[in-house]
Amino acid sequence: MSLKPKSRGRAGAQAERGGGGEEAPSTSRGPGGAASQGGRRAEAPSAPGPRSQKQLELKVAELVQFLLIKDQRKIPIRRTDILRHVVGDYKDVLPDLLRRAAERLEYVFGYRLVELEPRSNTYILVNTLEPVEEDAEMRGDQGTPTTGLLMIVLGLIFMKGNSIKETEVWDFLRRLGVHPTKKHLIFGDPKKLITEDFVRQRYLEYRRIPHTDPVDYELQWGPRTNLETSKMKVLKFVAKVHNQDPKDWPAQYCEALAEEEARARPQTGVAAPTPAPSS
Amino acid sequence: MAEEKDCLRGDVEMGEEPVVTITGGAYSGKQAAEKEPMKVEAAAGADACSEDLSCGDADIDPSLLELVDEEKCRSIRKQYRQLIYNVQQNRDDIVNTASESLTEALEEANVLFDAVSRTREAALDAQFLVLASDLGKEKAKQLNSDMSLFNQVAFCDFLLIFVGLNWMEDDGRDALSDCDDNIACSFWETVQKEATSWMLQAETFHFIFGSFKSETSARKPRLEHRKKVHRMEENGDMPTKLRKLDLSSNQEATEKEVERILGLLQTYFRKYPDTPVSYFEFVIDPNSFSRTVENIFYVSFIVRDGFARIRLDQDRLPILEPININHVGEGNDSSSHGRKQGVISLSLQDWKNIVATFEISEAMIRNSY
Repeated sequence: MSLKPKSRGRAGAQAERGGGGEEAPSTSRGPGGAASQGGRRAEAPSAPGPRSQKQLELKVAELVQFLLIKDQRKIPIRRTDILRHVVGDYKDVLPDLLRRAAERLEYVFGYRLVELEPRSNTYILVNTLEPVEEDAEMRGDQGTPTTGLLMIVLGLIFMKGNSIKETEVWDFLRRLGVHPTKKHLIFGDPKKLITEDFVRQRYLEYRRIPHTDPVDYELQWGPRTNLETSKMKVLKFVAKVHNQDPKDWPAQYCEALAEEEARARPQTGVAAPTPAPSS
Repeated sequence: MAEEKDCLRGDVEMGEEPVVTITGGAYSGKQAAEKEPMKVEAAAGADACSEDLSCGDADIDPSLLELVDEEKCRSIRKQYRQLIYNVQQNRDDIVNTASESLTEALEEANVLFDAVSRTREAALDAQFLVLASDLGKEKAKQLNSDMSLFNQVAFCDFLLIFVGLNWMEDDGRDALSDCDDNIACSFWETVQKEATSWMLQAETFHFIFGSFKSETSARKPRLEHRKKVHRMEENGDMPTKLRKLDLSSNQEATEKEVERILGLLQTYFRKYPDTPVSYFEFVIDPNSFSRTVENIFYVSFIVRDGFARIRLDQDRLPILEPININHVGEGNDSSSHGRKQGVISLSLQDWKNIVATFEISEAMIRNSY
C-alpha cells in the first residue's frame, strides 16, 4: 500500500492488490502472497518478473551489509526490518536472498545467519570460527568488555541449576565491585546492563518470581546463549577459573554432557533461514 | 462447631504434607474454598448476623461471641503477623536445608489455627501458608544445588586468583570496590579475554574510517581546484610588474659591469704598458664557472665597442690588448681589416682544465659585490 521510491512503476499494481501483501510481509510465500503474485501478473504484464542476475547480486550485497551493520548492537534482526529497509519489492524472492546472503556471510566472513528460535522471524549472526588463543589480544577490544561479566553471570546461572535469583547475582557481584545502584567505572549502569541490555540481546531471560515480597526476579539463559556457547563450554570456563576439572561437579557435568549429545544428534529446521528445513 | 473445626484442621493437615509440590497460590485457593461452606452455614444459622459473616457458631448468639472473642481474635492475629514477620526475616536460615525452622514454624501455625474461628484470622493463616510453601519450594531447590557443591563465595575468590590478584583476598569482602581503577580495569579485561574464548560471538562490523556519505566528497575537490587556480592567477599579476622593473635594472647593471671591467682593463694597461694580457687569465674566475661566463660576456662588449681586441699570440693563445688613441689613427686599418666574429664556447671541463693548465689562482676581475 505504501508507495516506495524503488517501486519502479509497480505502485499502481500494489495499490490494486488491496494491501494484503504489505501488511503481512512474512507471508511472501503464503497463500496471501501467492494470490497477490498471481494478481499482479495478471494486472501488470509489464512488471519486472524475472530479475537480472546483476540486480539480485546487488540486492544480496545490500542485504549482507545491512545484516552486518544491524548486528553491531547485537540485537536480533527482525524479518520485518529486513523487508522494510532492504528488500522492498524483492519480497517474493526473500528466502532466496536470505539464503544467498547467508552463504556470502559464511564464505567471506565466517558468520552464520541463524534464526534465533524456530519461527521467531528474528536472526542473529554467530561466528563459525572457534576463537584462537593467539587472537586473544585483538579480540573484543571494541567497546566495553561486557562479555566477561556476561560469562560470569552465565556461569552462576548454570552452576546453580539453570536459574538464579537476581538478589543472589547482586550478592555475588558486589564482592567484585559491581553494584546495582552504584555507577560502575566500566559498565556504567550494571543493573541496566544485566536486566535490560543482555535481555534485549537475548543472552538472558529475566522473569518475575510470583508471590515474592519484596519483588524478586530470576535470571535464566536466553536463546542467543544457547547458540553462541554451550553448557559444556561454560562449565569449562568455571572449571578453568577454579583450576579444577569439569568433572569435579558431577551433576553439572552430566547435564552438560547430555546437552552435547543432544546437539550432536541431527536436528531439523535449525539454523536455516529458509522455511524449508531440508534445503 | 467442634466438628467443623475438626474437619478444617483435617484439611490443614492434609495440605501440610505435600507442601513442597503444591504451590502456595493453589493451596490458598483450596483453603478459601473450604471456608466458603462454613461462612454460608454460619450466615444461615444466625439471624442477627453482622456485615462480616464471620460467625463460626451456629448455636450461640453471635453478638455475644463477638464481644467475648474480640480480644482473643486480636491476639491470634497478632501472633500470626508475628509468625509471618519472623519467617520472612529468617528466610535465609529457613531455606537452608539443614535447619528445621520451617517445620517448627508450621507447627506453631498449626497450634494457632486451633483457636481460629473467624475468616480474618484464617486469611492470615492462609497468607502464612503461602509463604511457607514458597520457602519449602526453595528448600527443595536447595537440595538439588547442594549436591553439585558449587560455592559462590569460592567462585568469587577463584576469579580474583585467576586474574592474579591474590593479595586482595586478605581484604575480605568488597575487595574490588575500593581498589584502584586500574586494577578493576585489568581485572575485567582479563576476564573478558578468557570469556570470549568460550563464546562464538560474531565480531561487530565497523568501517575503519567511520561511515560517510559518498556524495559530498565528490564535490569538494572541484571547489578546491578552482580556488587554487584563482590564487595562482592573482599571484601571477605581481611578478610581471616586477620583471619589467628588473629588466631595466638588469640592462643598467650590464652596462655598469662592462664599464667597470673596461676600467679594470685600462688600469692594467696603464700599469703594464704594451703588455697584452692573456685572455684566459683575465676572464677566468677559478672559483666560479658562472662568473667566468659573465666575464666573457662583458669582455665581448668591450671588444665589440672597440676598446680592446683579441689576438692570437705566437703560442696561438688569445690575448687581449688595448686599442689606444694612437691606434685610432690606424682605425682605418682596423676598419679596413674588418670585423671578425668569434664564438667562444667553454664547458665546465674546459674551464677546469684551463684553471689547472694556466695555474690561475685568483680572478683578475674583482667582484663588485
